[in-house]
Amino acid sequence: MDTLLSPQLLIAALVLAAIYALIALGLNLIYGTMRLLNVAHGEIMMLAGYVSYWAFVRLGIGPLVSMIAAMLIAAILGALCYLTIFRAVVRNRQLAARLESNSLLIFFGISIIVQNILSIAFSADPRSYSYLDAIIPVFGARVELNRLVVLAIGALATAACVIFFRYSRLGLAIRALIQQRDAASLIGIDAEKINLLVFSLGFAMAGLAGSLIGMTSAISPFGGFPYTISAFIVIILGGLGNLAGGLLGAAVLAFVEIYGVAATSSAYRSILVYGLFIVILLIRPQGLLGRRAA
Amino acid sequence: MKRTTTALLLAIGAVLFGACAAQAADPVKIGVAIAQTGPFAPAAIPTLKAYQLWVEQTNAAGGLDVAGTKRPINLIVYDDQSDFTKEATIYEKLITDDKVDLLLSPYATPAHFALVGLLERYKFPMVGSTAASSQLKKVKPGYIWFPTSAMPDQMGPELVKMWQSLGFKSVAIATLQSPFPQEIESYVKAALKGTDIKVVASEQFAPDIRDMTSVVSAFKQAKPDVVLSLSFPAQSILYMKAAREQNLDAPFQLVLIGPTHEFFAKMFGPNLNGIVTIGHWSPFQAKWPKALPFYEAYTKKFNESPDYLDVPLAYMSCEILAQAVAKVGLDKDKLRNEIASDTFDTIDGPVKFDGVQNVSTPTMFLQLQDGKAQIVWPKAEATASFRNKSPWAN
Repeated sequence: MDTLLSPQLLIAALVLAAIYALIALGLNLIYGTMRLLNVAHGEIMMLAGYVSYWAFVRLGIGPLVSMIAAMLIAAILGALCYLTIFRAVVRNRQLAARLESNSLLIFFGISIIVQNILSIAFSADPRSYSYLDAIIPVFGARVELNRLVVLAIGALATAACVIFFRYSRLGLAIRALIQQRDAASLIGIDAEKINLLVFSLGFAMAGLAGSLIGMTSAISPFGGFPYTISAFIVIILGGLGNLAGGLLGAAVLAFVEIYGVAATSSAYRSILVYGLFIVILLIRPQGLLGRRAA
Repeated sequence: MKRTTTALLLAIGAVLFGACAAQAADPVKIGVAIAQTGPFAPAAIPTLKAYQLWVEQTNAAGGLDVAGTKRPINLIVYDDQSDFTKEATIYEKLITDDKVDLLLSPYATPAHFALVGLLERYKFPMVGSTAASSQLKKVKPGYIWFPTSAMPDQMGPELVKMWQSLGFKSVAIATLQSPFPQEIESYVKAALKGTDIKVVASEQFAPDIRDMTSVVSAFKQAKPDVVLSLSFPAQSILYMKAAREQNLDAPFQLVLIGPTHEFFAKMFGPNLNGIVTIGHWSPFQAKWPKALPFYEAYTKKFNESPDYLDVPLAYMSCEILAQAVAKVGLDKDKLRNEIASDTFDTIDGPVKFDGVQNVSTPTMFLQLQDGKAQIVWPKAEATASFRNKSPWAN
């Protein structure tokens, strides 16, 4: 019982929730707006991780600065992906009719290409570096500073996104597009511009996540897939396309993982996580905060 | 007419001479399939680098000595895409389509297992490398050999002997749900029966675990002398971070796979000091004169140090094969008998097989001391004495 009440567990759960929320954010944006299943999300994270790794190793620039470059590069890649591939897919009625399955295949191809380009360019060796790894006492817990940084930036990024979508005109336009695609176009919202923006923003968020995660764990060209899986679980749990739901999904997943393991055994981690996932989907197939299809 | 005949004879002579010269310089084709993409690629690539280094060194020295004739090596490499079900198909292609003269082994135990039947069918000998499981002993001796001495059934009793010699009384074990770590756990627990060392905590965890704070919290409360993190690199990172954050102060902390990898040192630096890991090779073992030159050559070529288990094993497998080929050539039957019966001089000392297993190299354990991996057990092989785990750096 003492263990369950320890601040160490609480901080661990919050950090994990921030990581899950951050990696799910970009995926949720793209799915929410365009119904595209970006299974290359983890690979974009790894690409950004490499940007920050090389910036640190070669130029001595820390990830807190290089994450901006990583986000920019990811955003440009996202824009290119949209302009060269997905714009045509969305415009083509036949392809658009099976948008989710087609996007899954296209992104799968992109993920393989990114993996192999990274592998050719940097080899498959895992890469890591030590940055902001001082131990900081927080309410009786001892935490590595880089994990606290991930927690803080993760919270800031998700809060910024929520505020953007709730209060800015552009954010409202995107939400309108998410909720009523055809009606939004009828009232003058330029769907293509919004798509381009969301694609870039979604990729940039993956870039931010990858850049930050490189501080706390090793990166490799083939290390992105587990993050993609986690991101999908979070957004399905929270409700596909629902940003607040994604946040809730990340928190639920992280707290079940940390406290469930502490209360039972780490051997039950997968049973707890996936068991809860199935139970929630049985009770609420649309996810925790998702809307039931009309 | 006479001039024509002379020209013709000269031409035939030239062709024959050319053919002979070409035959003398015919490359020896050596095939391997290894994970260059997919989840096992990061761990497998260093093994491939060991092969490439050996090929480069051998070719630079004039080629592979095939029963007295030096021939260049042509290394044929396929990517098994981290899919062990492809192993047998690719190796069959190497044998039948590419018609390789020799085979090098793939990465990881399941990949080795996948080839046993094929090697038997084609009567093609292959020296294994990165396979370690007690199940290997059940493989029918014949066409495959395993040079590792990091066998779970030997590691368990050796660890217990080591703890007894150091006076430790309690153990906490965190085990990845994967065959190799689970085998080690079961042999450690079996070896502990009848001793005064108690298991005070024992947890298993899935490969997709993302945080080990809870596991380490439970261990900290149990106050063990010994902590075993039977983990692969991704989870080893989680263990190290959680143990450091919670200042887990057990004097003996073993992390199964990771500590001797280059990226691990970059991430943890001085916090690795005192961490014990598996391995039966060290460049600092003066008894093995080839060890340090290999370490230096690998580090120079790849700008990173080799790990202390898989990379030496891969290189050793090449050394064994090369020495056997130098004696008996490329005849498969003769090669098989030679590998099965002779003793080979490697970077890890002498290697001799009994059945499929290396019976010369004892099971050892390494400890990271001031950035160097030193052999600390058994004492007869030690390059340094065991030190209690240094306090975690803040």
